[in-house]
Amino acid sequence: MIRRQKVIVSLLCAVLTVGLLAGCSGKNGNGGSGDKVTLRMIESLTSPKRTELIQAMITKFEEANPNIKVEFISPPFDQADNKIRTMLGSDEQLDVLEVRDLTVAEFVNNGYIEPLNSYTDKWKDFATVSAVSKSVGTVGDKLYFVPNGLYQRQMFYRSDWLKEAGLNPPTTWEELYDTAKKLTDPAKNRFGFSFRGGAGSNGTTDAMILAFNGDKVNLDDSMFTKDGATIYSTPEAKAAMELYLKLYKDASPPDSINWGFQEQVQAFTSGVAGILLQDPDVIQSLQEKMTEGTWATAPLVTGPTGKALFAAGGAGWGITAKSKHKEEAWKLVEFLSSPAENTKFSKDYGLIPIHSSATEDEFFKTGPYKTLIDMSNKPDTFVNYKPAFQYPGTGQWGQVTMETGQSLLLGKSNLEDTLKKWDEYWVDQKTTLKQ
Amino acid sequence: MKLRLLGVSKFIYLAIYLLVMVFPLYWIVITSLKPQKDIFSFPLKYWPERFTLDNYVHIFKISKFHIYIGNSLMIAIISAMIVLVIAILSAYVLARFKFRGHKQIMLAFFATQMLPGFVALAPLYLMMSSMSLINNRFSLVLMYTVILIPFSTIMLRGFFQRIPASLEEAAMIDGCSRWSALVRIIIPVMLPGIASTFIFAFVQNWNELFLAVMFIDNDALKTLPVAMNSFIMKFDVDWGAMSAGAVLSILPTILLFAFAQRFIVEGLTQGAEKG
Amino acid sequence: MKKQRAFILSGLIPALLLVLAFTYYPFLKGIVMAFQEYKLFDLRSVHFVGIDNFKAAFKDPKFIMALQNSGYWVVISLFFQFFLGLTLALLMKKQFRGRGIYQGFVFYSWALSGFLIGMIWKWMFNSQIGVINDLLLKLGIIEERIGFLSNPHWAMFSVIIANVWYGVAFFAIMLLAALQSVPSELYEAAVMDGASGVRKLWNVTLPYIMPTIIATTLLRAIWIFNDPTIIYGLTNGGPAGSTHILSSLMLDKIIYGGDYGAASAIGIIMIAILLLYTIFFLSVTKAEKAGEF
Repeated sequence: MIRRQKVIVSLLCAVLTVGLLAGCSGKNGNGGSGDKVTLRMIESLTSPKRTELIQAMITKFEEANPNIKVEFISPPFDQADNKIRTMLGSDEQLDVLEVRDLTVAEFVNNGYIEPLNSYTDKWKDFATVSAVSKSVGTVGDKLYFVPNGLYQRQMFYRSDWLKEAGLNPPTTWEELYDTAKKLTDPAKNRFGFSFRGGAGSNGTTDAMILAFNGDKVNLDDSMFTKDGATIYSTPEAKAAMELYLKLYKDASPPDSINWGFQEQVQAFTSGVAGILLQDPDVIQSLQEKMTEGTWATAPLVTGPTGKALFAAGGAGWGITAKSKHKEEAWKLVEFLSSPAENTKFSKDYGLIPIHSSATEDEFFKTGPYKTLIDMSNKPDTFVNYKPAFQYPGTGQWGQVTMETGQSLLLGKSNLEDTLKKWDEYWVDQKTTLKQ
Repeated sequence: MKLRLLGVSKFIYLAIYLLVMVFPLYWIVITSLKPQKDIFSFPLKYWPERFTLDNYVHIFKISKFHIYIGNSLMIAIISAMIVLVIAILSAYVLARFKFRGHKQIMLAFFATQMLPGFVALAPLYLMMSSMSLINNRFSLVLMYTVILIPFSTIMLRGFFQRIPASLEEAAMIDGCSRWSALVRIIIPVMLPGIASTFIFAFVQNWNELFLAVMFIDNDALKTLPVAMNSFIMKFDVDWGAMSAGAVLSILPTILLFAFAQRFIVEGLTQGAEKG
Repeated sequence: MKKQRAFILSGLIPALLLVLAFTYYPFLKGIVMAFQEYKLFDLRSVHFVGIDNFKAAFKDPKFIMALQNSGYWVVISLFFQFFLGLTLALLMKKQFRGRGIYQGFVFYSWALSGFLIGMIWKWMFNSQIGVINDLLLKLGIIEERIGFLSNPHWAMFSVIIANVWYGVAFFAIMLLAALQSVPSELYEAAVMDGASGVRKLWNVTLPYIMPTIIATTLLRAIWIFNDPTIIYGLTNGGPAGSTHILSSLMLDKIIYGGDYGAASAIGIIMIAILLLYTIFFLSVTKAEKAGEF
């Protein structure tokens, strides 16, 4: 009898609780109380530590602007872009959002985000924003987001391994192959190169093909040569890919055919692989997990013509087209992008700051970041190009190269066919863009 | 002699099986107790040289794990309870009465199990958004309830069919209404079946990730699976935090399983009585 | 009579209403996208394209591979989950010391999320830093590391292992419950007739629990077919698409391609396959026996 009543009571409780929950759920803080404006902001490249840093900046902003409240949304990295897309496609309020180089074309194409030029015209600190940062956030002739820091690939290597083998850090792709091959000893579970054949594999293939093509590449439209053909159609591309295949077969863990970012970095930190090509935001992770003095950084390796092409990538803050509080939203973006805040954020998180003045900071002149400055001081060797983010197929490109590249590595398809597929993909992109 | 041989081989089979099942759990637990630097050190250590609770401290410090656990518990339990109320009613009706549309309704419930959920995700978001139900724990309770109703109805209907109708008929002759007969006579007899349905529902809710990511914005409303998913970053998986979080998220379900073990088996036994 | 009708209605309405409004309605809207060009990159030019998405799917070698893989994935996973689950249930039927604790440790996998299982197994399967290779090497079973997730010959096998590991518990729990309900008189009668252990199993036990077997295998097959989470977490379909099943390919189209039209078309094909399967399964096993449906 008692048991029975207990069940009924608890069921009743449950129903009541839900009623209460539903009752007090009238959130969406915008309920017109006074002049207080609530901004809703979302990030994309989430990690717990980064969220904390951004939240701290927001708190500072709110203290300086007591009439603005910021609701900060941090979806897990893995699902973030998908969530942002879905929110943008609905009527959910969103004012400030993190736009990535990979997503900007899509957002602009759908009219989701607002050009920022009219705001930056009046922004006093805009003058010190570096040209590269501006170019990352620009589609066509309009700026759509202000980057919150830049990524730029460099080389990380196990200095202790190289020393032990009496080798110098490689400077060309050929040398990188030789060095990596010498370091490789499968019996000891040691490999020279931390290869990435899974998600993001185009980071390696495109870098090699660009470096091999060298001067031929049209720097403003980097999937094409100056003659208008794709970079995949040249004999240099074939040479690059032949070396790529050798690099996988002779100097990389076989498992790495399916590795993405995380496994690639794990292999380096755990002492399975000796050379890693990555962006600077990996530095902190290396500092945490590896013993000091066992690793160092070096510039990107060059192709046969002595050039390495590199692009800066980045994500940053943009404003939604639907926002009802654009002035306040810009205030927030301006605050987050100010030299003081951005430099601090870049240091704390390990990115290249967006203000050229900030690179003068001691922090970026020493240690693992120094390489990046060194590279930018040699613009003839390390040539900056603009990635092809304006094409609709850019988002899919990673997936396409991954799958065709894997079947090439597995020997299921041959080099000529693979390059032909890639060539066709970009010819096709060009024609759709022209329409 | 033959019997002993049989006993020994049974023992070996069960032991191997136990080993295979427990090893991944063991591996997560000791990883969660290793210091960051040791997690990926070579050669692999099957017993940590140094024990630390850092990873556990870490997940409560950098992310508000107690809040996420609270949210998950609340959402999972409340939704499972509502599912029980609704599904007991529909299951009882479907078990006891034959009426026009009976078969179609059963089919409609069964067919939901075939629908690949991701097709509906975007329209569902728009729908919930237009009702201002985004970023609200209630909307998760609602979604989870909806998802579980069909299967719970099918499962509970099975249990009801095993209970002889004479039981409540007797009660009704004594003057009980059908409602009170259901609540007073049938449900108590069905408790084991209800408990196992509850556990099934709880486990599903406790683990759900994709809807929780989509429908919840505020940090204070997040659930445990979403928080765990956040340990996957652009370059790195925080395995220390991930394994500590995993241990904490497995704990309640293991406790529930262990605690309700007798209940579940009893409950399902009832359901499976009679063919 | 009127009272009874009121009772039936009030009992069914909450469940039906919720399921129709929040499952079928959004789902029907999702299905419409299968006949549209519906790409997130260009939502301004969403338009109807007839059955183009279906044609494109059947022309895509990735889809054909995923279709094949779905078959392996379901049949092999289901077979081992069921077979191991049944033997486990048979062995656990008789009370032994510590059975409660034993149950706790062999059944917990059922309570884990697909995402977590994917993560854990991906980590253990890693050929360089994973514990499985390390163990096999230490035990002298293999001499060279195996690329469980990188070698296309192994990859499908590996994801199926993880899936079997996860799902045995479901069958074991369900079948154990069913076994415990077999009336002992039936066994006594069989023994009097001089039946051996195997005969008892074949002639008494299995027929008795057949309804449970039919219901659980039917449902489980559908769930396995539809659930992409373990594959999504483990290999995300790689290498070179060799571990994609239909549901993971569909997820891939949504998350990486933003192509809802193609995803929805795959979804419809999946439903069609499941319908055929269910009809076939129920007619072969004689539906009434399942009791449930």
